[in-house]
Amino acid sequence: MRAPVSERPDAAAVALVDELVGDLAGTWDTSGVLPDPVLRKLGGAGLLCAQVPEVYGGPGYSSLRNGELTAHVGGRCSSLRSIQTSQGMAAWTVTRLGTERQRAAYLPRLVGGELAAVAFSEPGAGSDLSTMETRARIDGDELVLDGHKVWITGAAYADLVVVFAGYGDAGTAVMVPAGAPGVTIERVPEPLGCRAAGHANVRLDGVRVPLDSVLGGRPGQSLPLLVTIALAYGRISVAWGCAGILRACLAAATAHARGRRQFGRPLAEHQLVARHLAELFTAERVASRACADASASWDGNSPDLVTATMLAKYVSSTQAARGAATAVQVLASAGARDGHAVARAYRDAKLMEIIEGSNEMCELMLARHALSAA
Amino acid sequence: MTSASQALEADLTDLLERRTKIPVAPDADLFELGVVSSLFAMELVVHLESTYDIAIVGPDLVMENFRSVQAMAALVRRIQDRVGAGTGV
Repeated sequence: MRAPVSERPDAAAVALVDELVGDLAGTWDTSGVLPDPVLRKLGGAGLLCAQVPEVYGGPGYSSLRNGELTAHVGGRCSSLRSIQTSQGMAAWTVTRLGTERQRAAYLPRLVGGELAAVAFSEPGAGSDLSTMETRARIDGDELVLDGHKVWITGAAYADLVVVFAGYGDAGTAVMVPAGAPGVTIERVPEPLGCRAAGHANVRLDGVRVPLDSVLGGRPGQSLPLLVTIALAYGRISVAWGCAGILRACLAAATAHARGRRQFGRPLAEHQLVARHLAELFTAERVASRACADASASWDGNSPDLVTATMLAKYVSSTQAARGAATAVQVLASAGARDGHAVARAYRDAKLMEIIEGSNEMCELMLARHALSAA
Repeated sequence: MTSASQALEADLTDLLERRTKIPVAPDADLFELGVVSSLFAMELVVHLESTYDIAIVGPDLVMENFRSVQAMAALVRRIQDRVGAGTGV
């Protein structure tokens, strides 16, 4: 089952991803680094944030089409897909929170090869944003930022960091050049998964930016609302990335089960292995449907997108974590080394149950929705 | 109040009462009532956008604009007026 033609990423986009990734994802995983030219080429083609409208120089993909592209990248390399998630979230944040002048200023840069990361989490503030300690204050015609962000995906490669901070009893989102005085970016050493995604801690010590770097033109919006809006993109992107992980796991597991023989017949003809394949197939279909459903809400600008996105993220990441473990089980020793597609999937998918809202936070929010909607 | 404004407030009141399961007066402080989570607020944003064919972006996303049915209705009218006057952000 494939998406209708109009909702498939164009062949040139897929070919560029395939050409750039080649068989290198395993090497990137073990070295923990994505080559800069790969990121710049994909970014310059607009494919790291393909929903940026054509009027700003972007590919202008729908959510569904971008989702299929995200799944394709996710199936090949979750580190690269993580960069795509961050860049897309930065572009979406500018689109949604910025003024028209800011959209016109930043979006062409984000589809022109510059890289962006989005900084929410802090040592003491993960799911509970009320404890966010990064602060913004106005000094003359500048905004001054102080704080410490942790585990910022893509920050090690970024030219721009979208920083979320408290401002008085409200909040703000600010475009901060990674090279601005007072910004220090240090890689998280040896992350469990998405090892080449450039996760880094970001220190902000008296960082000064012009006031027109403040998205919306002035600080003082609702911090929870700003973060919720930004994260919605991150969540649907992660969800599609996990659908891609499942597609890669299904392909690896079926290929292995067809080819490898034990006890005189292919693994696939052993019923307990066949059940693994059935479960993987089901997981991929369920995750893809949840993602497509959420993207349809995005493309129709339906209020359902909020819950549908949460559901897609929850379904897709939990299915991917379980499915990747199943794939490792089917491949056994053939897949049990770092860098192998299913070994990467196993570590990467686990991280996806934590990032952009842990399983438990998703469950709480889905339960709250069930209580109010039923 | 115009009938368009009344319809707007009635639509919002209906949505809020369905979701919160409590009566919601047009001037009730929704944050004090504790019935608007950030997710629900985002849903309200998209609901207003898709129902009234407007874009709520940038500086309009202050929580004050979502504090009550009246505040949301006023926000929609402001954006409609701004678009009508050709001075959108």
